[in-house]
Amino acid sequence: MLAKVAVMGQFPGFSRWVCAAEHVHESSQPRPSSYHPQFFTAAEYATIDELSELIIPADESPGAREAGVAEFIDFMTASDSEIQYPFRTGLTTLDASAIQKYGSSFVNLREAQQIELLSSMTNDDFFKLIREYTVMGYYTSRIGLEELNYPGLRIYSQSPACPHKGDPEHKHLPPPRF
Amino acid sequence: MPKEIYDVIVIGTGAGGGMAIHTLCAAGAKVCALNGSRRLDPKKDFRNHKQPYDMKYRGFGSPELRKTSIGYMDNEYSQGIWEHDIVFTTAPGTQWTWRRCFAVGGKTNFWGRSSARFSEIDFRAASRDGYDVDWPVSYEEIAPYYSRVERMIGVASTVQNRPSNPDGEYLPPMNFRCIDWILHSGAQKVGIPYLPDRIAQLTQAHAGHPGCHFCGNCTEGCDTGSFFSTPGFFLPEAEKSGNLELRTNALAKNILVDQNGRAAGVAYIDRNTKQEYEVYGKAVVVAASCVESARILLNSKSRHWPNGIANSSGQAGRNLCDHLYGTTARGYLPQLLGQPSFPDNVSDSTVAWMPRWQNLDNPRQEKFIRGYSVYPDGGCAGYPSYYDSIPGFGREFKREIKRRYPTPVDFYIQAPTQRSDANFVDIDPEVKDIYGIPAARIHFEWDRNTLLMWEHGKQACEDLLHASGAEYLGAAKEPDMPGTSLHETGTLRMGNDPKKFVTNRFGQTHDVANLYICDASVFPNCTDKTTTISILAFSLRTSEYLMENLRQA
Repeated sequence: MLAKVAVMGQFPGFSRWVCAAEHVHESSQPRPSSYHPQFFTAAEYATIDELSELIIPADESPGAREAGVAEFIDFMTASDSEIQYPFRTGLTTLDASAIQKYGSSFVNLREAQQIELLSSMTNDDFFKLIREYTVMGYYTSRIGLEELNYPGLRIYSQSPACPHKGDPEHKHLPPPRF
Repeated sequence: MPKEIYDVIVIGTGAGGGMAIHTLCAAGAKVCALNGSRRLDPKKDFRNHKQPYDMKYRGFGSPELRKTSIGYMDNEYSQGIWEHDIVFTTAPGTQWTWRRCFAVGGKTNFWGRSSARFSEIDFRAASRDGYDVDWPVSYEEIAPYYSRVERMIGVASTVQNRPSNPDGEYLPPMNFRCIDWILHSGAQKVGIPYLPDRIAQLTQAHAGHPGCHFCGNCTEGCDTGSFFSTPGFFLPEAEKSGNLELRTNALAKNILVDQNGRAAGVAYIDRNTKQEYEVYGKAVVVAASCVESARILLNSKSRHWPNGIANSSGQAGRNLCDHLYGTTARGYLPQLLGQPSFPDNVSDSTVAWMPRWQNLDNPRQEKFIRGYSVYPDGGCAGYPSYYDSIPGFGREFKREIKRRYPTPVDFYIQAPTQRSDANFVDIDPEVKDIYGIPAARIHFEWDRNTLLMWEHGKQACEDLLHASGAEYLGAAKEPDMPGTSLHETGTLRMGNDPKKFVTNRFGQTHDVANLYICDASVFPNCTDKTTTISILAFSLRTSEYLMENLRQA
C-alpha cells in the first residue's frame, strides 16, 4: 500500500487524495505540507481551486477540491504552453471583473457573488477552458470515477448482460436514483 | 561463408504475415521473418489495466504527444508503439491519417476484433450491379478457410442467416446490454438488423487461451491474450517449431531478384545500425499491409522490372480502397437517466452491429450500389465526454453528468469506397524516409457512392434513434479523415488476367512465380466488413498453396 501511495503521489492531484486516505487511518496526523504550484502563483492557484469547486462542488460526494483538481490543472498548464496565456489572462480578467462589480477579488467574494459572476460568463472562452479542465481532472481522479461508479477495468466472469429481463424497451425500470 | 538460403522470407508479422509464418513453419519450411520494428513486452507496453489517475497525464497524454498523435489510439496508454519515423506523403487534395504499428504482430495487438466473413454477395458484386470486377474466388472455395481460422482464433457470435453475412463457427456471443435492447427495439420498428457482432473475443477459454475478463480496455492491448493477436496465438508456436528466425527492427526495402528476374530474397535496413542487409529465400511472401506492400514492390526496380517487381500490368499501387468511418448519429436514452452504472464498455463496444441491410434482394434498390454496416456504441464509458452538451456549472451540472452516465449512444458507419482511378499509391519522387527509402505517396478522395452511403446512414440512424425513444443530438459534420479505418485494400489486386491484376487467385504474383502477397492488398475491393479475418483466411490459403509449390519444386 505504501509503495502504491508513493507512486501515485508523483502524479497530479494526488497529494490531496493520498492525504485524505491517510487521514482515514491516522486522523491524529497533522495535515501535510500543502502543494506548491508549478505554474500558477499562490493567488492564481487559490482562484483555480475556488473555481473548480464551484463547477463541481462537494454535495453527497466530494467535489473538485477534494479530488485535487487544481493540482491537476496546474500540472497540465505547466506542461502545455498553449494554455498558459489563456489561463493567466482569464484569471486576471476574472479578478478585474470581480473588483469592478463587487469591489473585491474573486476568492474574497461571497459564494452568491461568485456564482452570479460565473453565471454571467458561461459563454466566455475562459469559462469553457476552466470547465473543461475541471471535468478532465475530476472524472479521471479516483473520487470522480467513484462518483460515476465507473464499471470498467474490473474483472467480470462473463460478458455483462442487461439485468432487465422481459423489458427490452426499458419502460418499467425502478425510479431513477439520481 | 556460403550464404544461407531460407525456404521462405516473410515480410511482416501482422495478420497476413503471422498466418503465413504459422502455416509455413508448421509444414516444415525454414522461414526468415522480417519485422520493421521491435517486439512488444506486454508487461511494459500494455498499460490497459491502469486507471487514468495512475497515468502521469491521466491518459490524455503529454501536450507533445497530443500534438503529434496520429489518432485516438496513439495516446498515453499505447505511447511508443505507433510508427512515426517512416514517413508517407499525400498528393495535393488528399488528406490521409494513418496509425501504423510496425511492432511485432502489427495491428493485431490492438485491432477492433470484428470478424465477419465476406460473402458470395461481396465476391459476385460486379455481376450483380455491373460495377468493376468480381473476385476470382467463390465463397464456397473460401468458406473452409474461414472455418479453420475461426477455430484457431475464436470468434464469438450467433447464427444470423443474413444473406450478406455467412454464419461461421462461433463461441457464445457477447451479451446484449441495456442500450442494446433499447436500440434493438427501435431497430425492429424501422427494419434495420441489430445483432450480436462477430467478435474475436474469447467469451470462454479457447484453444489454450484464457477467456476474456471483460475489463473493457481492449484497444490498449490485452495482457491476458484473450483476443487474437499473432504474438499471442501464432508466433510462439512457430518459434517452438525451430523453423522460424524472426529478425526485428528489419525494415524491408526491396525484393532482390536473380538473373532471371525471380525473387531471390529481400534487402532490409537494420533500424538500429541503419546498415543494409540482404537475406535470401526460395520464395518471398509480402505481408507488410496494403500500402506498405505496394511501396515495397514499387521500390523493387531492376532491369527485369523497371516499374517495380511483378508490375508488368502497371496495376501495383492502383485501386486503393478504404472504409469511410464516421459518426452517423449521436444521442442519449432517456429511459436510462439516473439508473445505476452498468459495465457497458466491456469490449470497447463491439458487442453489437447492424450488418449490411441495403441492396440485398435488388442490387440497385438504393441510390448507391453495394452497402455499408454500422456499429452502435455507448453506455457507461470511462470519461463523460458528453459533458459539453450540458450547460452551466455547480450541483446541477454535476448531477446531470451522473444522471446521463448510462445513456449516451452513437453510431459509427463502415462504408466501402469503390475502385477508382483517382485512388492509388505511388512512390514520391522526392521524399525519402530517414533510412533513405523512397516514401509512399497517397492519392485519395471519397467517391460519391460512398458519400451517398454516409447520407443514407445518417438518416437511418436518426430514424432508429427516434424509434428507440432516444433524444437525437445530431451527426458528425463530416466523415472521419480517409485512412482512419486502417482497412486499406486493393493495391495488389488478385484476378485471372495477368494484364489487369498483380496476383492470381492464390495471391501468387502473375509475373514472378515465387513471390506471394498475403495481406488485404490482394482484395479486389473493399466490402462492408472488416478485413482481418479475411486476411487470415486468404493468407492461410496462399501459404498452403505456396507450400505445395515448394514441395513440388
